[in-house]
Amino acid sequence: MKKALITGITGQDGAYLSELLLKKGYEVHGVRRRAASVNTERIGHLLRHPRLKLHYGDLTDSTNLTRLIAEIKPAEIYNLGAQSHVAVSFEEPEYTADCDGLGTMRLLEAVRLLGLAKKTRIYQASTSELFGKVQEIPQSEKTPFYPRSPYGVAKMYAFWITVNYRESYDIFASNGILFNHESPLRGEEFVTRKITRAMGRILLGTQDCLYMGNMNSLRDWGHAKDYVRAMWLILQAKKAEDFVIATGKQYSVRKFIELAAKEVGITIAWKGKGLKETGIVKSVKPVAGVTAAAVKLKKGDVIVRVDPKFYRPAEVETLLGNPAKSRRVLGWKPEISFEQLVSGMAASDLKLALAERYMSDGGYGAPKAL
Amino acid sequence: MKKALITGNRGQDGAYLSRFLLSKGYEVYGADRAGDSGLWRLRELGIEGRVKDVCLDLLELSNIMDVMDRVRPDEVYNFAAQSFVQTSFEQPILAAETNGVGVARLLEAIRKACPAARFFQASTAELFGKAGEKPLTEGIAFYPKSPYSVAKLYGHWITVNYREAYGLHASCGILFNHESPLRGEEFVTRKITTAAARIKKGLQEKVQVGNMDARRDWGFAEEYVEGIWLMLQQPAAGDYILATGETHSVREFIEAAFLAAGFKLRWTGTGEGEKGLDAATGKVLVEVSKEFYRKSEVDFLSGDAAKAKAALGWAPKVKFQELVSIMVDADIKRLEVKR
Repeated sequence: MKKALITGITGQDGAYLSELLLKKGYEVHGVRRRAASVNTERIGHLLRHPRLKLHYGDLTDSTNLTRLIAEIKPAEIYNLGAQSHVAVSFEEPEYTADCDGLGTMRLLEAVRLLGLAKKTRIYQASTSELFGKVQEIPQSEKTPFYPRSPYGVAKMYAFWITVNYRESYDIFASNGILFNHESPLRGEEFVTRKITRAMGRILLGTQDCLYMGNMNSLRDWGHAKDYVRAMWLILQAKKAEDFVIATGKQYSVRKFIELAAKEVGITIAWKGKGLKETGIVKSVKPVAGVTAAAVKLKKGDVIVRVDPKFYRPAEVETLLGNPAKSRRVLGWKPEISFEQLVSGMAASDLKLALAERYMSDGGYGAPKAL
Repeated sequence: MKKALITGNRGQDGAYLSRFLLSKGYEVYGADRAGDSGLWRLRELGIEGRVKDVCLDLLELSNIMDVMDRVRPDEVYNFAAQSFVQTSFEQPILAAETNGVGVARLLEAIRKACPAARFFQASTAELFGKAGEKPLTEGIAFYPKSPYSVAKLYGHWITVNYREAYGLHASCGILFNHESPLRGEEFVTRKITTAAARIKKGLQEKVQVGNMDARRDWGFAEEYVEGIWLMLQQPAAGDYILATGETHSVREFIEAAFLAAGFKLRWTGTGEGEKGLDAATGKVLVEVSKEFYRKSEVDFLSGDAAKAKAALGWAPKVKFQELVSIMVDADIKRLEVKR
């Protein structure tokens, strides 16, 4: 039985990848950080699976990683663990470097010094944020990097140290340069999930308004479920290489908001520019599962505003990937469209909002808005 | 009086820059780790005691913040690094901490304590690694080939990012190899010139080297620190390549160094078996040892300093032959003084 070790198993990608690998018959070992609050919600449904084993650990602790790898001797390591939030990296640049950058090297070093270079394959979760201020459109494996945040710079370190260990020590180590990938499991601090979460709540009156940063940002958005399949394919390839994983299509944050709103029955009209831009309800019609009485919204309500605190110190305006190589070499292509992605997220979050509303109507706590 | 803080001031570049800034009337603070290693460089340049010592380690943010707060420098030059490529394969974490995250700590401290200070980051031609194109300019994509250069890549981009995100006057100098009599003896150039001098004086029989086909663009460190200073005098911060535009192989360096010491070399054998013989006596003076091969080699590095020339008016005058002679002569002289 093949053994896989996943760092960041409690995150969005970790959850989808665990499901995929368990389905393929792997024994899946996951590294989770010890925290005061529960962080295993995303894999809650897998916790009793006989082939899933969780270990406490941390990418900033060499002793821990080295011991885990020595004990498990995994055939595949997926390094998904990271301080993964761009805006937070401006607040915590050192931790971001330690975890996202050096953490990757700690894994590579452990594999090397344990003599597993020939046995263990390593997937490194690289990111389209490496392209930052893009040097060409669309971005491929050959496009030079231009990171725009401490997160991007730390991930760039990880990218190159992975390439360096592959070239210096002949370790099967590959980077997947993944463009934005979302799902109902995305963390609520990320813009897509923040939007879909807000739309359900705004519809039901448990949140007044959605506060946004730069809505002109263009992103190449795919579904995490499609993207974890690419990770697995990258480690099954004949040779270790780096791949761009993307849809090749691009939409603005504003478009994402419009679609998410539409899914819950809200049509938005935009007014004003820049900091003064607002999103106003043009019409509302109840969707399945929502009664007319539950809808607390009316025409003319302002439900989207701009708050400069969500601007990044250095902005990434546009990201668009060219997935030609992964299509050609791995035979990978995304199956879930942008529209399906947004509607799936919005529908899932509408259910959450309904449950919250139901709880609060029954006197069980007030839903908290972000 | 302007105040400059130099990290790694007891290294080759730090020592030359200290002397240069003192001559310009700066108050110079030398930030180095505790201990007296490297003081010989300041002594040789005649500036021992004229640089104000501050104890600073790039691993410790509170230490750096404290120093910035006390010194309030107008200019900060970051030369401190684990600067030896081979060692970085043995100590990759330390290289990353010092050469990479250490730069983030410095920038954070400057941002908080003295945001008007101008900052220089010592980037390196090693960033280009396998880039292959020639000659290399500021726009060419990097391809680092060692834990040293991956860490320096982090240092480079975090500097660019702090400039763009916070408006700091922070510049990177992408310095191609620059040598001098003050170069550490673990570096191949100085190892060769020291050996040539010692062999001439009968203190050593031969020298072992690694890949002699590696080609580099070698300049004189004393001139490079002037280019570095010029970068911080510009109204806007930016990144500049400093290089001579000429490349020579390690083999050519060896030939020139031994010639300067009075030996003409004749080569025999190939690969690991290649040897450099004294053409006059047939004695083996140079041997190849695999120990000095890198795990992943950078074969060719040549820089185009056109941007520095246009914007800073900087152009190196000391070329290859003269550089080698300066280094060999200095090493011979040191041996004569010691006697």
